[in-house]
Amino acid sequence: MIFLQNAIDAISLGAVYALAALGIGLIFSIMRLINFAHGELIMVGGFVLYGLAGQPYLVMGLASILVVAILALGMERIAFRPLRKASPATLLIASFAVSYLLQHVVLMVFGARPMGVDFLAQFGDSVELGVLRVPKLQFAAIIVTIVSLVCLALFFRRSRIGVEMRAAAEDFTMARLLGVRANRVIAVAFVISGVLASMVSLYLVAQTGSVSYKMGVNMVLIAFVASVIGGMGSLTGAALGGFLVGIVSVSLQAYLPVDLRPYRDAFVFLAFIAFLLWRPQGLMTRRADMERV
Amino acid sequence: MLSVKDLHVSYGNIVALRGVSLEVAEGEIVAVIGPNGAGKSTLLLTIAGVVRAKQGEVRLGDAPILGIAPELLAARGVALVPEGRHIFGSLTVAENIALGATTRRDRAAIAADIERALDMFPILRERYRQRAGKLSGGEQQMLAIARALLARPKLLLLDEPSLGLAPLIVRQVYDAIFALKRQGMTVLIVEQSVHRAVAAADRTYVVNSGQIAMSGRSSELHGTAAFDAAYFGMGAEKGVR
Repeated sequence: MIFLQNAIDAISLGAVYALAALGIGLIFSIMRLINFAHGELIMVGGFVLYGLAGQPYLVMGLASILVVAILALGMERIAFRPLRKASPATLLIASFAVSYLLQHVVLMVFGARPMGVDFLAQFGDSVELGVLRVPKLQFAAIIVTIVSLVCLALFFRRSRIGVEMRAAAEDFTMARLLGVRANRVIAVAFVISGVLASMVSLYLVAQTGSVSYKMGVNMVLIAFVASVIGGMGSLTGAALGGFLVGIVSVSLQAYLPVDLRPYRDAFVFLAFIAFLLWRPQGLMTRRADMERV
Repeated sequence: MLSVKDLHVSYGNIVALRGVSLEVAEGEIVAVIGPNGAGKSTLLLTIAGVVRAKQGEVRLGDAPILGIAPELLAARGVALVPEGRHIFGSLTVAENIALGATTRRDRAAIAADIERALDMFPILRERYRQRAGKLSGGEQQMLAIARALLARPKLLLLDEPSLGLAPLIVRQVYDAIFALKRQGMTVLIVEQSVHRAVAAADRTYVVNSGQIAMSGRSSELHGTAAFDAAYFGMGAEKGVR
């Protein structure tokens, strides 16, 4: 039973990591940009919830998704589009700059202390399934992630822009030679990435009941690791990597000796260093991406 | 249809094209041949908007097109089949072909054109739902040409269509090029393999060291001593034109 309880915990945590990793992986697959400012999209989503506290939850959630999607679009237009032909290193540094800028704007306005937000507080209640006790939030995370993955898969396979995005992710120049509009494809990728980031912020705020200007930092690091584990450039890999990181984290938390549990994250990253030594290209990656990574 | 004047292109300090000029009339097939590293692919990539020119002029019809983004040139009717095919390996053959029609919205006509492309290359019909990465080199070349034709291009640019293919497949690819010629399509072919390109082309330009070393009607050039001299790099020094 304890194993089953841990499995549910692992899958629900992995689901959230998968959403975050998909946001990072999607932008990388098209632009070769590792967008560390993705964490600040998550953070801004949280502060939108804080700003609208007291409104109906649906209004808070939809507003958060809308604002973050628009912010992601603006980030692309202002910070990354002028640098599109720059090297991946320049783009990476630009993403750090955007990240610090957004963090410090929020720090100046709201201060450094975490602030409480009432958002989906009742989702902290647990559902009893026999001897298992599963918080509603974990169910919600799993269901929302599965629905999002199915929607994304349908979007990429069935819609014209989705197929164009897959083509652009594989060979951007060739896609442009066929008439695929670079600006449109990248803008749509940023909007999707923003929506994914805002869903992560909804989960984080519902889980912790607070927001802070650094709330996205840890998540973006984990998402980056997950997308590398999954294979940079592969969206399926990013989702799998997210689940894998979640499963490993919860397993170590559950099965490490008690004295070592405070150092769980060190063991998690040690495990992934060993994994990357064995398989540096990640779980799934295309040959074309190996050189770039 | 296509007019290139005094085109200069460099990659950093390396000069790839030095004042190349050429003309392609509507409905004409023109071959640009030359040894490896002569600047042939750079010429096509510059016309298609991928590589920036340092100096010169490229016109499609009356409109200057130099410096226009590749996706906008595609919308104006320029289609490139690049060296190495560049098909999308993780997409199906069907998706690859459909991407050729990205700039079009006439669904019924697109469906008819897909049928025509599959009639031209029947093997693609058999592989229609397969991932393009699973195709052989020859099938990928056919797919790349079929995809380009879906754009209904005014000008088709073919970069080394026979490179790395078995002789039988090269014949099939050139049969398709002859079919395009009969349909009156305007084509600019770049090739290292002289014989087939010159046989298919109305006119031929020989490029060497980034310059046009020689040009003329294909039937008059091929096999002459001056042609061989130009191809192997002696023509430019002797001022053959």
